[in-house]
Amino acid sequence: MSTKLIELGPHQLALEEPMYFRVKLEGDRVADLDVLPGQVHRGMEHLVMRRNFYQNITLLERLCSLCSNSHPSTFCAAVEEVAGITIPERAEYLRAVADEIKRIASHLFCCAVQANVIGETALFRRVMEVREIMQRAKEAIYGNRMDLAANVIGGVRYDLSVEGAAYLARQMEAMKQPLDELYLQYSNNPALLVRMAGVGVLPRAAAREYAVVGPVARGCGIDYDVRKKSPYGAYDRLEFEVAVQEGGDVRARNLVRLAEARQSVSLIEQCLAQLPAGPLCADTLPEIPAGEAIAKSEAPRGELMYYLRTDGSDMPVRLKWRVPSYMNWDALKVMLKGEPVANIPLIVNSIDPCIACTDR
Amino acid sequence: MSDCINLTSEIRERGPGGGGRDGFEACVAAALVCAAGEETEVLWCQDRKGVLTGWCRLPSGGSLLPAARAVAELDGRLAMVTAYLPERAREKGEREIAYHFDLDGATLTLTVILPLQWARVPSLTAIFRNCDWQERELMELYDVQVVGHPDPRRLFLDHSLPHAPFERLVPYSTFTNAATGKVLWDKVLAGEREEP
Repeated sequence: MSTKLIELGPHQLALEEPMYFRVKLEGDRVADLDVLPGQVHRGMEHLVMRRNFYQNITLLERLCSLCSNSHPSTFCAAVEEVAGITIPERAEYLRAVADEIKRIASHLFCCAVQANVIGETALFRRVMEVREIMQRAKEAIYGNRMDLAANVIGGVRYDLSVEGAAYLARQMEAMKQPLDELYLQYSNNPALLVRMAGVGVLPRAAAREYAVVGPVARGCGIDYDVRKKSPYGAYDRLEFEVAVQEGGDVRARNLVRLAEARQSVSLIEQCLAQLPAGPLCADTLPEIPAGEAIAKSEAPRGELMYYLRTDGSDMPVRLKWRVPSYMNWDALKVMLKGEPVANIPLIVNSIDPCIACTDR
Repeated sequence: MSDCINLTSEIRERGPGGGGRDGFEACVAAALVCAAGEETEVLWCQDRKGVLTGWCRLPSGGSLLPAARAVAELDGRLAMVTAYLPERAREKGEREIAYHFDLDGATLTLTVILPLQWARVPSLTAIFRNCDWQERELMELYDVQVVGHPDPRRLFLDHSLPHAPFERLVPYSTFTNAATGKVLWDKVLAGEREEP
């Protein structure tokens, strides 16, 4: 059998961001893989040490588009932990609303892209059409379709008026039936099953070994969701079940995402129902003392972790974060092994990779 | 060592959320003392939601490997590695690396203190596979040698950038120019050559 080494770039991988793969082929099957990141390395961790805490909220929101709310909210949580700031209850709920809106839009984008990769153009359009309900909700509430600018140290900087909450509730109602329909499609549609079921399998033992997180882990039967394991914000008062699938394949990962999107609708509804009155932000903020803190959240792609170290000045001594995609890339070695070349773009997109986040 | 194994099964049963905070903390502390020596102490903090965060400064660089093995036996997952120059690092001639582990929702950070010059740490890749990228990134950003890393190539940084740029003054434009790396430009230039 002939052995060949090929290089794949973002165009061949159907990615909208640059990532390169060096793939070793045996015949037309993948034998090994080397991931070559760094094409959009911007030295962000270097930059954040030269910006004050407020500037960093804005900068971190621009780290990544699809999980743009998770970064500033987790960073703010780290600052609040160092300074002992308790955020108002209303702000906890509003942070959860922003996070869940972004989660639905992010998950649907991932499912849509995969439909496109396998040539299911009509489905791609349908998923993007459903996602558009979320995009418009973001536009109406936050004034922007991607970066919500919702967070500030000590709380949030947006509010939901009675009309705003009613509008969001209507949008959530409009999401239910399409999301249920999409779940059935990704679960049972024969055209999708033939491309996604049993493809790009990551066994549970390998998932543990590679320490993957988020829908990639939950698609392998690993019941881990930061919102449950390390509750933060309003999540200790919200009801939801961790979406878990056993297959470990492309289909399982998508079913986890679609189940989560549907649960996010319910989480937003719960937030709207429970939303307490009160301030949006702690009224006086203390000086940020010297210290260190860890903050974690469940971003759309999984566990996001921040470490902050301060020295009493208004700039971090060190701010480090590890995004969920970071480990998921390496696990592609297992998912791609033995797969035909034609399946590479689909499997790569099935981990919902984020390159801007990975490279920083 | 048999005591440590007993602790492992105990912690699996108790977990940070399950069988009481004190028991969980005692198990982790005992496992670390068992592995890294008597003077190993873990300081636990619990936030308003009940989430536990443990901080442990290891008594010596040599205790990193046994401590990491103990965490692995407790079913810990390596979540992140942070290398940094702490406050007054140059005065004190010290640097630190923090290894953050997940213990079923609780976070345990093991910090090693290393000399600023000629810093060396053992690779944890044999224990935690996902330490591979973490250590490759740490090696290119900071002047630290990771001993025994199976693949110590640069991960993100282009070869045109100096070694350990987080410890040097590197103009930001150098960082961003280098972002369009060699792999990309090789392709662009190859494309130009092919044009008639």
